[in-house]
Amino acid sequence: MNEKPVFSHEQLGMKTVTRRQFLKYSGVSAAAATSILSVDEIASAAVTRPLPLGTPILVVVTLYGGNDGLNTVIPYQDPAYYTARPGLTYKPETLLPLSDGMALNASMTGFKSLWDSQKVAIIRGVGYPKPDRSHFSSMAIWQTGSPQNHLNTGWLGRWLDSQPIDPMTAISLGSVLPPLLAGTKQSGSALPLGGLSIPNGQIGKACVRLSAKSQNDNPLMAAAATSMRNLFNLSGSITPVLAQPAPFADDLPTVAGGNAGGDSNLSQQLNLVAKLIAAGSPTKIWSVSLGGFDTHANEANAQATLLGTVSSSIAKFLSQMNASGRSKDITVMVYSEFGRRVKGNGSDGTDHGTAGSMFLIGDRVQGGMYGDQPSLTKLIDGDLAVTTDFRDVYSSVIDSVLLTPAEKILNNWSGRVKAFKPV
Amino acid sequence: MDLKRLETARLFHRFGFGPRPGEFTQALSDGIAKTKSKVLSQPLIDAGEVPAPPITDLGPRPAPNSAGVVAFSQSLRFENQQLVLWWLDQMVKSERQMQEKMVWFWHGHWATSIGKVNYALPMYNQNKTFRKYALGNFSDFAQAMFSDGALQIWLDGGDNNVKAPNENLSREMMELFVLGVNRYTETDVKELARAFTGYQVTRSAGVVTYNEKRRDTKAVTVLGKTGVLSPEQAIAHLVSQADCGKFIAERIWFRFISSAAALPENHSMVSAFNKREMSQLISTLVNGADLANPNYSIVKQPLEWFVGVCRALSLTPSKLDSYPKLYGYLSKMSQIPFEPPNVGGWPTDESWLSSASAQFRVAFATWLVGQADLSSISAIAPLQRPTYLLDLLGVVEWTPRTSFALRDVRDSEVKLLILAICSPEYVVSV
Repeated sequence: MNEKPVFSHEQLGMKTVTRRQFLKYSGVSAAAATSILSVDEIASAAVTRPLPLGTPILVVVTLYGGNDGLNTVIPYQDPAYYTARPGLTYKPETLLPLSDGMALNASMTGFKSLWDSQKVAIIRGVGYPKPDRSHFSSMAIWQTGSPQNHLNTGWLGRWLDSQPIDPMTAISLGSVLPPLLAGTKQSGSALPLGGLSIPNGQIGKACVRLSAKSQNDNPLMAAAATSMRNLFNLSGSITPVLAQPAPFADDLPTVAGGNAGGDSNLSQQLNLVAKLIAAGSPTKIWSVSLGGFDTHANEANAQATLLGTVSSSIAKFLSQMNASGRSKDITVMVYSEFGRRVKGNGSDGTDHGTAGSMFLIGDRVQGGMYGDQPSLTKLIDGDLAVTTDFRDVYSSVIDSVLLTPAEKILNNWSGRVKAFKPV
Repeated sequence: MDLKRLETARLFHRFGFGPRPGEFTQALSDGIAKTKSKVLSQPLIDAGEVPAPPITDLGPRPAPNSAGVVAFSQSLRFENQQLVLWWLDQMVKSERQMQEKMVWFWHGHWATSIGKVNYALPMYNQNKTFRKYALGNFSDFAQAMFSDGALQIWLDGGDNNVKAPNENLSREMMELFVLGVNRYTETDVKELARAFTGYQVTRSAGVVTYNEKRRDTKAVTVLGKTGVLSPEQAIAHLVSQADCGKFIAERIWFRFISSAAALPENHSMVSAFNKREMSQLISTLVNGADLANPNYSIVKQPLEWFVGVCRALSLTPSKLDSYPKLYGYLSKMSQIPFEPPNVGGWPTDESWLSSASAQFRVAFATWLVGQADLSSISAIAPLQRPTYLLDLLGVVEWTPRTSFALRDVRDSEVKLLILAICSPEYVVSV
């Protein structure tokens, strides 16, 4: 090691920026061999200019473990449902009837009232060709959006690649980034529930130096440096927002001045998203998640609890958005890596299956049932047939929410689900 | 790049948890060949072995609101804490670093979480099985794992019976443990589940018992073999598949060499594993040329980073102040031993490099360095300290970027170390 290194371009660039400016505006750029200052200008625009009202926002909710679609959107008038899975079914009178002989799980009262106001599109029988029953393979297929070929990028990561470099564009809650936000040029950022606080003082200054790009970095070292650089960029703009109280949902019951309701991890994540959206964060994609859907045993109660959490958290989130003036901009998408076997497995649970239901929720959504309900008697190897390819749904979301032609992102996929209101 | 330093650093960080003070400098003077042979020759008796944790069979959970439930919960929490600290101390102190690293590898391979198992005893017994077979025969290992109580609880083995097979264990046995995804059919999964029926497991001790009434006694066909197969016969058949050799080599490659690059075709590890001996597979890898290839960098998992820091700074996890704080930091870094996120094990590379983890790493580093004795660094002139840290931490080289950052804080031992262990050069096993 040389104790007096020749100053690299990056270091000379840094010297022209004061620490305060750097903390506030330190940007990220994957390909740019330009000076730090021009990167600052890009980041500065992202931080200082809030997302314009009326810009669509996508909130992706991932249910990890394989949600049992048949006990979520339930074909409760079909006798085959009751004969296939004794011990796992619910009494018809407890369910929340929708249309087309379908009903929601009794725990999903929040979704039911959204359905009644025509804000919920339910897409049935969603999957992909040659279903893979491995959690990991199937989740990788859903998150990369590519059933045939293994890709290193997520479907939303490829959309990010088509956007200007900005670590604020897509943010995932939690400290590990889901593959769906991984791009080639840029990836989404991760935000933990506690929010971010930047190191300050001399350590902070030194960390800024440590996070600079270096020509000697291999790709993983560069990624490590970038993660620290993004910390400074994200936290400078987000930390003050986190000190604000969560937006108030005026149509929910109150306890001691705040909204009552579940305190699940999903509701915490969505609470934070609500604050940040209300504050004008220039973020077009949010990713949140809930695990625990791998119900191989004693499914009925466990799944009802989880679905209740999903339903009440999302309903509360959308109510919170009413006060922000952005409720019309938001679309929530809910999916899981596969549905479950039609027949129960004898542990009052179900094994890994194929098709399941997806939800699209929001003011831009044309409420109703989409996709054919797979037959419970014409099974393929014990599993539901796939009636809608998930890429139909993704494409519609990319077209209608991200306002980008989906063909570029999804390898010329042409199918669509017309679940959005015409603009 | 200095390839000798690169290969030496990889030997320490990938086939162990990083050097202790003085070890890296010694290895450089020993040369690569001797260092490799040291890595591969484990002492018969581990001078650093940590005494077994005080773990007992706590029995069934008392009824809610009953008299014993509070004491029970306290015991459960205490045993779980002792279990984690025992293993962390073992990783830091063991003189058999290759063995320890393999135990950690197998924990991620047969990834079982105490989140579902609840009790420390089955998890501890599983860890002992990992120790027994860490570098042993994989065929014997896979057989032992079928009878592992924690794994049986984790994958619903006790629910798998003749009336209603539960495929959880049979699927993962093929997909994640022995063969790899898509190297079997869906029919194989269902048939193997039938061969695995008839076993139940006691929850608190994880003892696996056989119950003939629950057994499917009909013939099954698994990967072309038909017959009434016992679990032993079925697993022996899986392990004998060529795909098993390829899969284990792939997994070792994925964790020890590169998570991004695929295992090269016809890699010598695969043939070295033809008798399913892990020690032969590992020594082929260590003695091969891959370790000198600069392309194969890998991000240290947060736990590897933490244990490496403890070794370099002579810290003992159980003596840190305090366990709840340590648990909190590990939890924020998203990696707590015995709690993998799912049966697929831990994520890799960029998944560990979020802006959130960057923040927590600085806080974690500050907490750790604050508890270390830094007198050896104080004894070095500030100008020489960054160079001294290279060998202390087992880093190949500082980039000009990091040299520049370190130079600014070199008068403060604490700040200098925090920066050094949070640098891309240390976070990544270059």
